[in-house]
Amino acid sequence: MPGGSDTLKPSAFIPVCTAACLLVGSTSLYFVFTCPWLAVTICPAVPPCSAIIFLFVLANFTMATFMDAGVLPMGDEDEDKDDEFRAPLYKNVEVKGVQVRMKWCASCHFYRPPRCSHCSVCDRCVEDFDHHCPWVNNCIGRRNYRYFFLFLLSLTVHMIGVFTFGLIYILHHMDDLWALHCTVTLVVVSISGLFLIPVLGLTGFHFYLVSRGRTTNEQVTGKFQGGVNPFTRGCCNNLEYLVCSPIPPKYTARPCKKTVIHLQPPFLRLEIERKKQIKVRDNGIQSRDKVAVESSNVKQLKTPPPLPPKPDHEAISRGSSPIPPEKVTFILTLAQFHFRVILIKPLPYINVFSYVAQLLKTSDNQDNNKGPNHCLESKESPVRSSHQPGMLFQPPLHTSMVPGPLQHNSLTLNSRSLTLKNSGRYGSKSQLPAMHVDGLGCNPPPGIIANPSLIANHGSSSLSYDNLMHPADPQLIMQRGVPPVSYHPHFMTVGTDGPVLRKSPQAYSPVFVGITRQSPHLQDSLRDLLPPDATPPRSAAARYDNFSKTIMASFHERRELEERDRILRLQARSHALYGDMGIYDIPCRRSLPPDNNRPPGSRGPTPPAYGSREFLMSTGILGYGMRSAPLSSSSTSSLTRGPKTIGSPLQSSSSSSLQTRGRSSSPGYCPTERPNPSLASSTSTIPRLSSSTASSATPHTSYATMKRSSLQYSSERKDSVTHGAPK
Amino acid sequence: MATEFHNLQELRHSASLANKVFIQRDYSEGTTCRFQTKFPSELESRIEQTLFEDTVKTLNNYYAEAEKIGGQSYVEGCLACFTAYLIFLCMETRYEKVLKKIAKYIQEQNEKIYAPRGLLLTDPIERGMRVVEISIYEDRGSSGSSSGSSSVSGSTTR
Repeated sequence: MPGGSDTLKPSAFIPVCTAACLLVGSTSLYFVFTCPWLAVTICPAVPPCSAIIFLFVLANFTMATFMDAGVLPMGDEDEDKDDEFRAPLYKNVEVKGVQVRMKWCASCHFYRPPRCSHCSVCDRCVEDFDHHCPWVNNCIGRRNYRYFFLFLLSLTVHMIGVFTFGLIYILHHMDDLWALHCTVTLVVVSISGLFLIPVLGLTGFHFYLVSRGRTTNEQVTGKFQGGVNPFTRGCCNNLEYLVCSPIPPKYTARPCKKTVIHLQPPFLRLEIERKKQIKVRDNGIQSRDKVAVESSNVKQLKTPPPLPPKPDHEAISRGSSPIPPEKVTFILTLAQFHFRVILIKPLPYINVFSYVAQLLKTSDNQDNNKGPNHCLESKESPVRSSHQPGMLFQPPLHTSMVPGPLQHNSLTLNSRSLTLKNSGRYGSKSQLPAMHVDGLGCNPPPGIIANPSLIANHGSSSLSYDNLMHPADPQLIMQRGVPPVSYHPHFMTVGTDGPVLRKSPQAYSPVFVGITRQSPHLQDSLRDLLPPDATPPRSAAARYDNFSKTIMASFHERRELEERDRILRLQARSHALYGDMGIYDIPCRRSLPPDNNRPPGSRGPTPPAYGSREFLMSTGILGYGMRSAPLSSSSTSSLTRGPKTIGSPLQSSSSSSLQTRGRSSSPGYCPTERPNPSLASSTSTIPRLSSSTASSATPHTSYATMKRSSLQYSSERKDSVTHGAPK
Repeated sequence: MATEFHNLQELRHSASLANKVFIQRDYSEGTTCRFQTKFPSELESRIEQTLFEDTVKTLNNYYAEAEKIGGQSYVEGCLACFTAYLIFLCMETRYEKVLKKIAKYIQEQNEKIYAPRGLLLTDPIERGMRVVEISIYEDRGSSGSSSGSSSVSGSTTR
């Protein structure tokens, strides 16, 4: 045959031809010269058995040589249209819990399935690739490995038989060794003896591979040397699979029957326009169209579509210097991000949204009525002018407003609003709008401010406001005669999540994500909510910028305060439950049962950090994840039972949420982790600090907890950013 | 034939291949043939998720049946051994029989469910059982050209 062609190289056929010739030739000689004497002398069944075995060898040899190993057809160009330049070289896939890498095959244009490999001789990817055998001039893969293995097995048996019987023959003809029969038998015995060693070795090797469930390729490349082989089914099942599994079909060169299917447009389409729009709205700030779409998703909305930004701009700037729309958009975007974070984790007791919305609305009304500097002034001074109450809220609101010092600072306002909030939950919707009369000017979040103020000017925006608060205050809506604003979509986006908000009567406090629900100390904590520390510049743009920073700062402070309050409450509760360790109460371990084996040096009941804010917060934040250091396994197990005994969904849910957050957000935490298999998985975060390191645990704990607190903030920031990123 | 279509050109819409979605293999249980039942986003507006999942699950069941190691596969193996694999010249293996069933099922699904929605399933065997290819066709609107309605040939194995 002509040499040099890609697929048919003459040199490739030499081994297979040699093997075939040796096999057939030797066996033929054996049958002709040796077997007659064997049949006569030893047993007449010897030649037939040998013949059967030889037939088996031939059949398997033929199948191994000519059977398609499981060659995969090349990938369509459509499959890799995205993959050529940007796709990663490897894709990870999990097989029975083990990560397996799938490599992109540049020749075949697909990611090689697990166990698949590209044969350089055949230049094709082969499924369950074992090796390319030169003696059969074929790849050994999924479809023909069985025949190859049986060929080896039968060849070994055959060669052993030929060698043994030939030897017997020779031993019986020692005196006539140079007779033809003897010489031929001698040659046959030599050949079989010579090739028996490597064939036996190869058979033993493949027996080993089958028992381990590996392919030659995997064995040689050391893939599963140290690790777990996900493809093995156990020794016996592997053998069973090898011999008895159904023969897979050939993938290439299949006989095809073409069937014609008629595609006749128009095609059926699904009525999922809303769904599409919901998906689109992920980064809903982008376009008005999207916004309009989003707004249509809000069930309660009957708003007209939002207007272009220009009117908003004018509305905002009516009393203040013009804000470039881009800037407002940017601010609003930030706010929206925060909103999204908030909405994911609604909390019961603080309706920051409503609060801020109220503030903004109030400020907007102030803007509308009091002129440009009103908001600035009110923002500058925590002390509100008394005319604020007289603001634009309608009588219904006023009447529902809590009388009393419409105080001048956001603190009071906050507490009032919170009181109202707590009292009414969603009941006091009419009260809610009234709440924020005062504190509006005090550093509300920029986006939130901007939006609701814009919204306040807009009938449609009021709907988003309503989404936040409650099903609308028609009076509020009606009061606003300002041209609609288009930024409310962002707000509306938030509000579109309003159903989410609404469902849970819990509040949507962004600050207190993951913190427990009830906060009787709202008033106290909220006092610090909006520290009137910022001095806003005159320009509205700068004002909005300052708002953002201040708001974030205030949120964080507020959050810390809430953490502290919560931890204190939980400690009080856990103290009340003797022996039932509150999750957040490390110091209460002193109340552990005395039979707890506390390892020596474990942290005593009064760790130095006890009582510190970070410690308390961390213990609260981490749930029982951080209580590992001084705890022995028994104590930790009782700690494990702790939340269950308490049985409060508050703790378990908050602890789980905190745990999750802790796990995800604390790189500083990780180095202190130690495996502790004695604990249940639910408390897997607990035994991070082994008791043996108790002495060093305290600084670790403190460090980790402090780190964790800071990390939580940063993670929340990150969350807000990532949520806002286009999906 | 061409003239038939020719008269109806103004009334007929033509479909064109817009996109292809590839349903990848699910290797979580090893190298047994399973396809992912995750609903691709490209099909969200074209077909109901339940229909799609039913199709993929049925296909998975077929393949599981084909690859099952049991009585029939033992018999087949022994028979093949004793006849020196000459039985393969006369008899169809169980896997091939199931593949025929799969081809028939896919054609039926195409005719009843997918083609009316402008989609077309391709038998995974043509792709080496690596992916289930779903072609998405778009209605290009009525055209005055000679394309007429499009008939798509789906090739299935015999």
